[in-house]
Amino acid sequence: MTFEKAYLFSLTKFKLSDARLIDQITKMGFDVEDNNASEISVDITPNRPDLLDIYGFARALRYFMHRSKRFDYKVESKVPALSLSVGQNVKAIRPFISSFVAEGKGISENELKYLVNFSEKLGSIYGRNRKRLAMGLHDFSKIKPPVSYDAFSDLTFIPLNESREMRFSDVLKENEKGISYSHTIRNSEGKTFYPALVDAEGVMSFIPIINSNRTKLSTGAKSIFVDITGTSQYIIEKAADLFASVFIDLGYVISPVEVKYKSKAVMYPQMSSTTITIPASRIEENIGVRIGPNNIVSLANKMGYKAAIVGSNIRFVTPPYRLDIFNEQDVIEDIAIGYGYDYIQPEPIPSVQQGSLEDVTRLTGMLSKLMLGLGFSEMMNSYLTSEETNFDKMLLKHDSDYVKIKFSKEKQLNMLRNWILPQLIYNASLSQHEKLPQKTFELDMVFSLAGGKTLEEYHLAGLIVDAKANFNEIKGIVEALLSTVGLQYSIKEDKIGSFIAGRQAGIYVGNKKVGFFGEIHPQVLNNFGLEEPATAFEINISQAFQQ
Amino acid sequence: MHKYELVLLRLLAKKGVPLRPAEILEVSGINRDSLFWAVENLRSKGYIDVHRSIEKYATITEEGKKYAESKLPELQLLDKLAANGPIEISSMRSSEDQISLKWAKEKGFIAFQNGKMVLTDKGANAQKSGIEEDIVLKELYKNPEKISDFEAKYASSVSQLEKRKLIIIGSKNGISSVEITPKGLRAAEEEQEDEEAINTIDRRIIASRAWEGKKFKPYDISLDVEKQYIAKQNPLREAINRIKEIYLSSGYMEATGPIVLPAFWTFDSLFVPQDHPARDMQDTFYLSNPSSISVDNPRLLKKVKKAQEEAWHIGWSKEIAEQAVLRTQTTSVSIAKLYSAEVLKYNMPIKMFSVGRVFRNENIDPEHLADFYQTDGIVIGRKLTLANLFDSILRIYKPLGVKIRFKPSYFPFVEPGVEVQVYYEPKKKWLELGGAGIIRKEITDIVSSEIKVLAWGLGVERILLAKDPGIKGIYELYNNGIGWLRNKKAVIL
Repeated sequence: MTFEKAYLFSLTKFKLSDARLIDQITKMGFDVEDNNASEISVDITPNRPDLLDIYGFARALRYFMHRSKRFDYKVESKVPALSLSVGQNVKAIRPFISSFVAEGKGISENELKYLVNFSEKLGSIYGRNRKRLAMGLHDFSKIKPPVSYDAFSDLTFIPLNESREMRFSDVLKENEKGISYSHTIRNSEGKTFYPALVDAEGVMSFIPIINSNRTKLSTGAKSIFVDITGTSQYIIEKAADLFASVFIDLGYVISPVEVKYKSKAVMYPQMSSTTITIPASRIEENIGVRIGPNNIVSLANKMGYKAAIVGSNIRFVTPPYRLDIFNEQDVIEDIAIGYGYDYIQPEPIPSVQQGSLEDVTRLTGMLSKLMLGLGFSEMMNSYLTSEETNFDKMLLKHDSDYVKIKFSKEKQLNMLRNWILPQLIYNASLSQHEKLPQKTFELDMVFSLAGGKTLEEYHLAGLIVDAKANFNEIKGIVEALLSTVGLQYSIKEDKIGSFIAGRQAGIYVGNKKVGFFGEIHPQVLNNFGLEEPATAFEINISQAFQQ
Repeated sequence: MHKYELVLLRLLAKKGVPLRPAEILEVSGINRDSLFWAVENLRSKGYIDVHRSIEKYATITEEGKKYAESKLPELQLLDKLAANGPIEISSMRSSEDQISLKWAKEKGFIAFQNGKMVLTDKGANAQKSGIEEDIVLKELYKNPEKISDFEAKYASSVSQLEKRKLIIIGSKNGISSVEITPKGLRAAEEEQEDEEAINTIDRRIIASRAWEGKKFKPYDISLDVEKQYIAKQNPLREAINRIKEIYLSSGYMEATGPIVLPAFWTFDSLFVPQDHPARDMQDTFYLSNPSSISVDNPRLLKKVKKAQEEAWHIGWSKEIAEQAVLRTQTTSVSIAKLYSAEVLKYNMPIKMFSVGRVFRNENIDPEHLADFYQTDGIVIGRKLTLANLFDSILRIYKPLGVKIRFKPSYFPFVEPGVEVQVYYEPKKKWLELGGAGIIRKEITDIVSSEIKVLAWGLGVERILLAKDPGIKGIYELYNNGIGWLRNKKAVIL
């Protein structure tokens, strides 16, 4: 979120130096991404939709610096400004709506800009691109009751900032918003619904796509109609609370709207709070510091809660605009943030447990040392690779037993490697100007499928690129390695397309093939653009060392 | 001094008199070109004086070459007469016949009888033993530079050959002899001493004690030598090993877990709602083979479903939870261990760690990789605090000598949530190292309402970046440049 600092400080009613502002924001738990003379950009974490606008952010900052005393966000009027009926057809696609009317002295240009921006942000981020939540702002004076919300047939209206009448279906094809959000009104069978708010004069809003031009909100409008629609009752209720709180902060008076379903009627906004009572000692036990009940209340206020001491407990009342307070641990976090992570003294955990390493760590550690001793340098490649590198360039057919990626932003990365050697050859192809011999190895994971199960195993692969690289040398290395670790192995003829026929061998432990070595086929070297002879080996460590 | 120079210098020093090039060629075994090269070098060093003279040389004509390779024509004629008897003069018509006839007649090798020619006694003798003129021609053909010697010894034959246009005698300015100078004599003596000093020490010298009483030839120690390279462990592996070592010494048990797993373990079990943006295909690698992996723990599924639905107010689908993905963090390893019943058998607090790769569907650039390392630590206990969490993390990172700080942040599965940052000196800024916190009760209650779990998942590469000024960016680690690794400075982590 990018905030204009001058406007932010006009809302907080105090000014901060840049260093102080950044420090406070960091302590509140957010990262400052950018800061220039006029604007500051803050990364708002997804749990705090209430901070996706400058008003909510100014409010939090005010509290955090103890400059706000107001903790009540209430709707005084019990008389609905409007009754809104919900039809049966919309149930299948977007069943829930909440709404209210905010009345003030005439909306300013800044307010209009930031409130529209807020509703967009809330719809895109918290609303998951309007799928689960979207909201609209209208000039209430232009609305002619009765108002109803339902899914309709393909009606016509003049969409916002268009000059001609359009059908809903045309909007989906021709209007930018229609194209962007058409997926939100298509059900899983591909059927498209047309949810809309309709008053006595026709379509007010094609939901959640675009409002009508007729009820457009402009600067100076005194009463503002807000509609919030979505797929979760809880979320549209809390979004109404959240949005109404912003209007309350701006000095507007909220009039409720009655939403009439077939079997029930609900008044919005509910401005609902949760009361959470926690023993003061439990808060301290969780954070690991002594705070004291009075200080806890003060810290609660700093975080926007109403709080009171009740015996040995503290009773917290959450502000209606907070959507992320589920239970006491969320409150405790806020107290910790209020206290300041910087002031929490690290405290050791008494423990007598002995550390231990997994067997595979000790095995691979030993093998790595042996490889280094043989003069091989360690490479570490991505586990992700391409079918081209893993199979095609190695002159192998694609088998089906490998882990395949469904969608990758990098088209070249479409599978998990099932052996290491192709990547070692690739590494060498990029270092051809380097002095020979080049000896490299990698000892890490490879992936395959067996009977529908994924096998995650360790392989050790070694590569020698040298003018004099030959079968005897690589055989000597493999034998040195295997005999050093005391494996009972045998060597038999092998027929892997990546190696020269008659100059390759398979390594067997018992009857199980656990690896191979040989002279790499010149065609493979050509495929990678490597121009020196090369020999290699690869051993399945997980299988070779089983038992 | 070059081998040929040395040979020449020694020869001149030994003989003590000026030598002609021909003499030197004979005894030295050096070929003609090398000799003149060595002469020129020694002369320029002032070791020898060069005496020059007009030098004769012979060129063999085409006709001369033909006869040198066979015989003079008159001798060929004698051969025929010896073999076939008298020949009709009238049959000798070709120009070659005329030449052979002319010279055989002139030299008195033949006589005419009744229109036929016959061998004289002289001719028969020449046919058997050959003649000087023919031998001189053959020798000159082999050694034309010896013309002066031949002229001295066989003057009439040489002049006859010249007259017959079988050879042409020319002359040019050449080296007549070379002579060692006093400076050259001294140099030869020094070389002699040097020769006795030991150059390469070998088994023979040591075993036979041949080195005793000898000098060792000193080397020019300033010369550039062939570069040697050290086989190295990857710096990233060193960092991983160091981190493991610290965990080990702090009493942590290592845990490992799968990389290919159902979304359940990387998301649902960590309280991430099913419509969370991080679960998007744009961010997480979903698999087409296998496309789903079942979670065979109905009790756990039920509990997670309930916790998710209560918190997020959206439906929860088992199919979505069983989609196969590549893990996005190593916390999944810790959580799976936590959910495994065995964990509660240990005495609390239980400390576990893992180091492994995690995956993000990214466009790869120098700052962003699709897979990288994360290290995860958890502490399971009855009474654990945020202050304990901070201490646990600091104990792991303090030995690495990096600056660490904590700030509040949000991660769906922890509350309180902590962002751990590391100070990156080259850019003078704090970099995010990862997330930490106390695992949400919604998750830990599934195991036991009595326990609390501290957890952190932190990047490994960034630690290395902060520690090692020789690493410009994360991309360098995965480029696997053999040259880069060979020239990489060792760093104590």
